[in-house]
Formats: sequence, C-alpha cells, structure tokens
Amino acid sequence: MSATLVTDLSRAQFALTALFHILWPVLTIGLSFFLVVIEALWLKTGDVDYYRHARFWAKLFVLNFGVGVVTGLPLEFEFGTNWAEFSRFAGDFFGAVLGFEGAMAFMLEAGFLGIMLLGWKRVPRGVHFFATLMVAVGASLSALWIVMANSWMQTPAGGTVVNGHFVVTDFWAAMFNPDMIWGVSHMWVAALEVGCFVVGGVSAWYVLKNRNPAFFMKSLKMAVLAAVLITPLQIFLGDGSGQSVFAYQPAKGAAIEGHWHTNPLGQGAPWAVVAWPDAEKGGNDWALEVPNVLSVLATHSWDGQVKGLLDIAPQDRPPALPLLFYSFRLMVAIGFYFFALMALSLWQAWRHGWHEQDWQQRSWLLKGWLWAVPLGYVAVEMGWIVREVGRQPWLIYGVLRTSEGASKLPASSVMFSIAGYSLLYIVLAIAFFIFARRWLRKGPDLTLKPPQAPPHAWQDRRT
Amino acid sequence: MDMHSFLLVFWIGVAGLSLLLYVVLDGFDLGVGILSLVACDEDRRGLMMASLSSVWDANETWLVLLGGVLFGAFPPVYAALLQGLYIPVIVMLFALIMRGVAFEFRHASGRKWLWNFTFGLGSLGAAVSQGVILGALIQGWPTEAGNYVQSGWHWLTPFTLLTALGVVLGYALMGAGWLILKSTGEMQDRAYQRGFWLLMGTLATGVLVLALTPLQNAHIAARWTGSSALPYALAGGVAVFAALLTIWAYLKRHEYWPFLGTLLLFTASFTGLVGSLYPYAVMPGLTWNAAAASTGTQLFMLVGILPLIPIMLIYNGYQYLVFSGKVDGVAYGEDHSG
Repeated sequence: MSATLVTDLSRAQFALTALFHILWPVLTIGLSFFLVVIEALWLKTGDVDYYRHARFWAKLFVLNFGVGVVTGLPLEFEFGTNWAEFSRFAGDFFGAVLGFEGAMAFMLEAGFLGIMLLGWKRVPRGVHFFATLMVAVGASLSALWIVMANSWMQTPAGGTVVNGHFVVTDFWAAMFNPDMIWGVSHMWVAALEVGCFVVGGVSAWYVLKNRNPAFFMKSLKMAVLAAVLITPLQIFLGDGSGQSVFAYQPAKGAAIEGHWHTNPLGQGAPWAVVAWPDAEKGGNDWALEVPNVLSVLATHSWDGQVKGLLDIAPQDRPPALPLLFYSFRLMVAIGFYFFALMALSLWQAWRHGWHEQDWQQRSWLLKGWLWAVPLGYVAVEMGWIVREVGRQPWLIYGVLRTSEGASKLPASSVMFSIAGYSLLYIVLAIAFFIFARRWLRKGPDLTLKPPQAPPHAWQDRRT
Repeated sequence: MDMHSFLLVFWIGVAGLSLLLYVVLDGFDLGVGILSLVACDEDRRGLMMASLSSVWDANETWLVLLGGVLFGAFPPVYAALLQGLYIPVIVMLFALIMRGVAFEFRHASGRKWLWNFTFGLGSLGAAVSQGVILGALIQGWPTEAGNYVQSGWHWLTPFTLLTALGVVLGYALMGAGWLILKSTGEMQDRAYQRGFWLLMGTLATGVLVLALTPLQNAHIAARWTGSSALPYALAGGVAVFAALLTIWAYLKRHEYWPFLGTLLLFTASFTGLVGSLYPYAVMPGLTWNAAAASTGTQLFMLVGILPLIPIMLIYNGYQYLVFSGKVDGVAYGEDHSG
C-alpha cells in the first residue's frame, strides 16, 4: 500500500516537474534559431531593423531561458531522488546519456549565453554571432540527448539485464533505438514549431494593434515562411512516430486509439474518431468509427493488422485511456490547425503581398496567429502525456515496471517536495506572465543603434 | 594499469574536478548572494549581482556535469546520494531555482528589492543545504540495499549544522574576495572588512570541523593517523599556508590575493576532506569500485566527454576574460535591458 502510494506520488511529481519544464526549452530552442537567422540577416544586409529585432526577442529569450534552466535542474536529480532503483538499473546507458547532455549541451549553451546577451559591446560581431549560434546548437543538442534517453525507455535496445541491472553491449544500437529518430525529430521540430508560432503570433498582435506594423511584418513574414517548411514536416514526423508506436509499443498504440479487438487478417481495423474507452468494461462505451482508417494510420495499408487491447494482458495495459485518447486527438488537431494557418497565410501573401494594411484588413487571420501561441504549448504537453502515460505500466517498456523503479522514500518526504515544487512553479509562472506581458506592452526600441564592437575581444573591454 | 582501474581513476577524477570547480565557482557566486543580504542598499545589491551576471549560469553547470558524471559512471552513487539525502537535495534545488529566476527576473521587475532578496535567500539556502550534505557525507548513513530506509533525519545533527555554518561562512568569504576584485571605493572597503571577519570565522569553524571529523568517522580517523597520513598532512600544510597567505593579503589590502588565497584554501581543504573518504563514495559500505558502471559505459563516456573538458575550460576562461575588470552597473544594466 505505502509503496504504491510513494510510487504514485513520485509519478505525480515527475509529471508536474517535467510538464512544467518542457514549456520553456521548446521556446528556447525555437527562438534561438530565430535569433541566429535574424542576426545573420542583420550581418548580411546591414538593415538595422534586424538588429532591433534581435535585441527585442532576446529579452523574451532570456526570461524564458532562465526559467528553463532552473526548472531543468530538478529533473537531472529527480532520477536519483525519486527513481533510485531505476537509476541503479539503467544508469549504465541512461546515466551516460544524461552525462553527455550535461557535458556538451548545457555547458555550451550556458557558456555562450553570457556573451550572447551581454557581449554586444565587448566582442566583435563575428564572435557574437558565433555565440548566438552555439547557444542554439547547445539547446538542440540538449534536446537530442534527453529525447534519446527517453526514446530508449520507450524502445530499449542494445544490451541485456545482468544481475538486476542493464548492461550495454552495443551503444550504437542503444542510442539509435527504434524510436530515437522519430522521437528526437518530432520533438525538435515541435520546438521549432512553437518558436515559429510564438514569433508569428506576437508579431501578429503588434500588426493587429497597429503598433510598428511594418517592423513586425518582417518577423511575421519569417514565421510564415518557416511554417511552410515546419508544419507539413511535423505532420509527416507525427505520422512516422505513430507507426513506430504501433510497431514497437502496440499497447500504447491501441490505448491511444481506443482499439480493443485485433482485426482479423484481410479485414481493416476501424478508426474511432471520437469514443469513450472504458477499461472496466473492456470496450468503448460509445464510438464514432470510420472503417479501415486505423489500419491505414498504423500500417499504411488498407487492411494491416492492429493489435487490440483485449489481446494484451490487463496488467500490461496503459491506464487513463480517455486521457490518452483525447490528448492524442487534441495534439493532432493542433498540428492540422497550424498547417491550415500556414496555408491561409501563404494564400494571403500570394494574393496581396506582405503589406501591413492588407493583413490588418483580415484581422481573423492575424487572430488565428494569436491563438497559435498557446496552442503550440498545448500540443507539446499533450504529446508528452501520450508518450509517457502511454508507456505505463512500464518505466522501461517491457523491461522494468514503474513500481520497480521508484525510490523507497517516506511518503511525507515526497509530499513535501511536491508541495514545494507546486508553490514555486505557480509563483514562477505568474511572475513570468507579468514580465512577458510587460515586455509585450513595452515593445521594441526602434531608436537602438548597433554598437561599435571592438575589433578584438581583448581591446577596450573595460568600458 | 588495466583498463578498468584506469577508467575508475579517471572518472573519480572527473567527478572530483566537477565537484571542486562547482564548489569554488558557484561558491563565490552563492557567497556574493549571501553577502547581498547584508548590503546596505538596493544599488549596492544591484552591483553585486551585476558582477555575477555573465558567470552564474556557467558556474552552476558544473553541478549539472557532476550529476551527469555520477549518474553515468557511478549509477549506485548517484542513486544512493540522492535517495539518502532527499530533503537537503530538494531544499538545495528549491534554493537554486529561487536564485536563478530572481537573477533573470530582477532585470524585468520594478520591485528590485523583492528579487534581490529572493536571490540572497536562495543563495543562503543553497549554501546551507550544501553544508548539511557535506556533514552528512562525512557522517555516513545506514543503508539497506543502498537505500536509507529508516525514518528520521540522519542528516540533521549538530555536526551537519556546524559544517553548514562553515560552508556559509566560507562561501561568503569567497564572495567577499570576488567583490574586492570587481569593485572599487567604499564597496571594496566593505568587502575587505567583511572578508577579514569572514576569514576568521571560516578558519575557526574549519578547525572545529576538522577536530570533530575523526570522531564522526572512524575510517577518516584511521586515514589521518595511520601510515597513509602523508597526503593529508600535505593537504593540511597547503591549507595552513593558504590561510596565512589570505590573512596577509587582507592585512595588506591586496587586490586579488584575498580571492586567490581563499580559492587555494578551499581547494586544499576540499581535496583533503573528500580524499579522506576514499575508497568510499558513500559511507559506510559503498565504494567507488563497487559502484562503477561497466567498463564499456565508462569508456563510451570517456570518448564522448574527455575532448569536451578542455574546450569547456577554455571557453569558460574566455568568458571570464571578456567580462573581466571592475563591474560598472550602468554598462551592465544598459547591455541587458537596452
């Protein structure tokens, strides 16, 4: 009883800290690439508006980055504090990958961040650009290692269990486990997508309010053009990830789709558009189904076989079926919303060009971009819920159960930490929103002049 | 030396180096935060924090590296430390979160005093928990299959409170040294005065901790008295020399020796104390050797991380160079908000 309680508390804490943390790095990654592009455009064209854009968005970046760094710290230690048995079991691979993350990515981004934010007057422009680039590379490398570690928990590979812990026999196979390419790319593009729609949405807000509309049409245009690449790519990657789930984690796939009965050979599996999966009953209470579509989604063939939940032992089925079912649908719907917004914006630009007056006449389109700002975050959260709750009851899919991985702790200790994190994160979120709102209202400084940076770092640095 | 022993020594070395760099770099950083609690006005606090703005984040990443290295190269050590020290670790994380966001948010806020205070409080909290952790490591704690399973707070004893006091004073001492380097005029005068008394306090607490340590831990007592005592005597000698050097530097009001002398003092005492625990990582019972990840993993990590360590040291050094010199509140503020 007590052990189950502690496991559940540790799960709740991990969910809280991970779902809160992920909000920030996605914008860090997305915005860091935007800053690289905008600084490159400034260096290339000499257009001072790009410099002002860089300085303006960097302020949002630093607010966001700060929260991302500090909320990431608990996660690195949480595997030890709350999942000590998992750490002992999986440290051989999982710990090594987290060590890489700490060494490469975090150091890179934190090391160059100071120069990027404070070094405009202290280093030559080329060095500054390099620092901005390194921050972006560092943030992305961070995502690579973290999601790689997570994908190994989804589709473990590359080793065997010896004396109660996982020993790696093939690092290459463990790193490039079946889910890794899909998981990493889907997440990385999600971060770019969030960044793209935050930049576009904020710019649309200024255009809509007629505040420096010409200045912000530049960034909105960049967001639209980036979305042309990003939104279809993300749908493609989402489709690939989905197929990978059905191939390697059939219980998760069936749970996401509310799919109970394995379809007989030669007969396609129907797809439930909406339904209410009921674990007690072992079926859907009600469902609106389209024939054959699940086979197409899961296997890309008209009548491919898809394993149903009833063919999976009850103790191996994921919990919270309606949560999985609807989180998944919400994420997918948002992905298509982004695609449609991109298509409509492209149509607008093609018909009427990029003049702010023409865009202001179609305020619904600009409002569509405003909505995209929170929706990107919602999609990321839904995706992680599907990914992590769908992996249950396993911590490492098929290898280690969640209940086997939790630390043996007094429940009161974990309650204390959950209470502390909840309080801190509520304060953090409120403070961030107050400051972000202030940043938004203040707007860019259009009188800024580019600094006369010293030609060499070691000259004139004591100004 | 076979591959296994080589990797073992190498990874203990990297873990030790990360810990040492974290303790001295984030140490002065936290120390400045602690001192900011007693600074006389908000402008002064602002200047203190400005002196850290380009380095605090990089300093803290040594802790991240330490966590990653322990998790990868010594998973049972990572697990045992964090499980066994749950509450102090969690409090440390809370404190580091507070000071980190306070640092970034104060630029955006009109209520600077609120965030400055949060920063100071977070710094103090982090230093106290790290001091408690140090004391608990010296004491050790009983485990079953690696886990601390008894109820009760083994980490809360008079001894761990004493080590916490020592770490708070020591960090504040390093912070004073840093402020002497970075400031001028009246602010520097204050730093000299406070630094001197902090030095006295640190030395007194340090001697007391040193005297009580053998009573806490029979293994260390044996190490310090037996035939293996020479390296520890050496570390002690260096520490005494560093203490005298720092006292001299303060009396002479030297500009950079107060800071460098304190760094040397910390490095020597740290190496001596943590070295005394060897071959144990967590007392009693968990040795580094028994905790080592498989040779394959340690080799895999070596290939990935070894080339990065000089690069990390070089660009962290470059950053200190770029932002060297006296802190000028106006220039920093402008850079950040303009």
